[in-house]
Amino acid sequence: MNYAIVKRLVLKDWYLQRWAIMASLAGVVVTLGIIATGGKVAFLLGLILLIMVIISIGAQMAVATIVTERKEQTLPFVMSLPISYREYTASKIWGNLLIFLVPWLTMVLGSFGLLLWSPSSRGLLPYAAIMSTEILLSTCLILAVALITESQGWAVAAIMVGNLAVNGIGYVVAHIGGIAKGMWGPTIQWSGAASAVLLAELTIVALLLGGTFFVQSRKKDFL
Amino acid sequence: MHSDLVISQTDGRPMYLQIMDQIRQRIAVGDWEQGKEIPSIRQLAVTLRVSVITVKRAYMELERDGIIVTQQGKGSIVAPDPKLGAKLYDQELAKHIDRVVQLGELLGLTPKEIASRVREAADRLTKEYT
Amino acid sequence: MNNPSVHFDGVSKVYPHFSLDDLSLELPTGTIMGLIGANGAGKSTTIRILMGLVHQDQGRVHVLGREMPREQAAAKLDIGFVSEDMRLYGSATLAWHMKFVRSLYPQWDQSYADTLLRRFDLKPQQKIKGLSHGQRVKAALLLALARRPLLLVLDEPTTGLDPVARQEVLAELVAVLTDEDRTILFSSHNTSDVEQISDQITFIDRGRIIASDDKEKFLDRWRRLRLVLSPEADLPSLPGVVEVGGSERLPVLVTNRFDPAMVSACNDAGATVQAVDPMTLEEIFVANVHSRREKQTV
Repeated sequence: MNYAIVKRLVLKDWYLQRWAIMASLAGVVVTLGIIATGGKVAFLLGLILLIMVIISIGAQMAVATIVTERKEQTLPFVMSLPISYREYTASKIWGNLLIFLVPWLTMVLGSFGLLLWSPSSRGLLPYAAIMSTEILLSTCLILAVALITESQGWAVAAIMVGNLAVNGIGYVVAHIGGIAKGMWGPTIQWSGAASAVLLAELTIVALLLGGTFFVQSRKKDFL
Repeated sequence: MHSDLVISQTDGRPMYLQIMDQIRQRIAVGDWEQGKEIPSIRQLAVTLRVSVITVKRAYMELERDGIIVTQQGKGSIVAPDPKLGAKLYDQELAKHIDRVVQLGELLGLTPKEIASRVREAADRLTKEYT
Repeated sequence: MNNPSVHFDGVSKVYPHFSLDDLSLELPTGTIMGLIGANGAGKSTTIRILMGLVHQDQGRVHVLGREMPREQAAAKLDIGFVSEDMRLYGSATLAWHMKFVRSLYPQWDQSYADTLLRRFDLKPQQKIKGLSHGQRVKAALLLALARRPLLLVLDEPTTGLDPVARQEVLAELVAVLTDEDRTILFSSHNTSDVEQISDQITFIDRGRIIASDDKEKFLDRWRRLRLVLSPEADLPSLPGVVEVGGSERLPVLVTNRFDPAMVSACNDAGATVQAVDPMTLEEIFVANVHSRREKQTV
């Protein structure tokens, strides 16, 4: 794997997407501002907005950098460079994840910080961890599907599935005994169930990314 | 010297023949002197925008006819032969005579009739020149 | 004679509606090979397999000594590829593309790139989406040529170009061969371009190579003979006759094994040879394909 070339490919994608990236980061800053104005409604609205922005960053970037390579017919140009599927796949995954992780980490650290700071809501921490990881998982799903299928239709489907999953899992997990018990309390109660769910999510993320590499290696028609 | 030759797309003859003819003409009229360096095969190919193999063929046949000489690793020169001009005209003559005979055959003339036609033309034209 | 730049050995690739069948091909280093074929004949598939972008189902492919597709990353360092279905990034400028390609290839020659900008009349600050089709093709060629790659693989490099641009491109391609170690493979519909600059010619039809040879030999072997049959004479049987046209008394034969001795043989057999016409590459290709297809349907 030629890391120097992967870096250049990532920078290329970031350059081509620079406006979208800057707009997204601006969106994150704005929503953080809304949250910081204090007040319960602002907090709730801000949080919802933040989650929407983050999810859409992941989805939009994945489509813009992967599906459009095929649609705009720039894929032959990229594949004529001294790379194989390895560098191509790695650059798309790294390029998209790194951009996604910036607002995502902001959200994670920001929400953790807020939860820890206000004494009455500390119990929400395990739930927040699970939901944040769920959003990461959804983005990885979109990336995997976009890379493997290179189809706009499938990518859009993955985006919808990811959104539904976030909502669905959010509901289900909130009602799991071990987790629900401590959610509304003032202390952090890390249950076995929470650990299990978190571990499962991280495993799926690893499987999605590793699986993508595996499927890409088996592709016989890159164009 | 390099931009001398011109290849025509509408000339029905094969490209290598056009190249050969033009080189012969240059030599015959004295533009390219004996012993003078001529463009290498690849150089001429680039100038004329034709394939290397076409120029190579032209050069090989010219060499076979004794018109040029190719020195291994040193490029090609016009053959340093004092009788070169005459030789070239001789080749032209042979070609035209062959063509005359072909046309005569198409018309159904016998060799004797063709020869007498040539004789008659030679007599007429030399009379005009003297 | 050095090793061939490209070597295909028994390559097959099966698609639902089309297949490449047992393709074997050799491209000698330092030559230009023109690949001619109808649409859907397999030119693009062959080229993609050569670039490692499509994996063959069977057979071995070696490009510049490297096995494809396994060693494609290393091979592509020395290959310049431009295909008809390839696009550059519309929102970026030509200058950006040049900088990008330059950062990936140590052999980039900036002074040659500047010369090409002038010759092709391209402005580096222009965005790709603002370029005409011909300018885009020239831009893609510039990006490939300026790296001075050992092998140039071009899929329809002159298609859609105006006559002036075409001659500019052909001139640059032939100039590449000033270096004996560099090779070009290009596919084209434009048989006159192929006829002009190719050293080797390969015909491909319906997934098979139907002919591959030295261009001059090709042009030498094919002739159209116009005959005048005397009333009692039959059509003489000549070697390599691929097509018989004209009328009963004025037949026109196309042969792919012409020999000057045929002329006297015909005349002796009572079939006066009225004309022996050389054929253009296009006529040769069409005659070749027709005769093959006819044999297949019989």
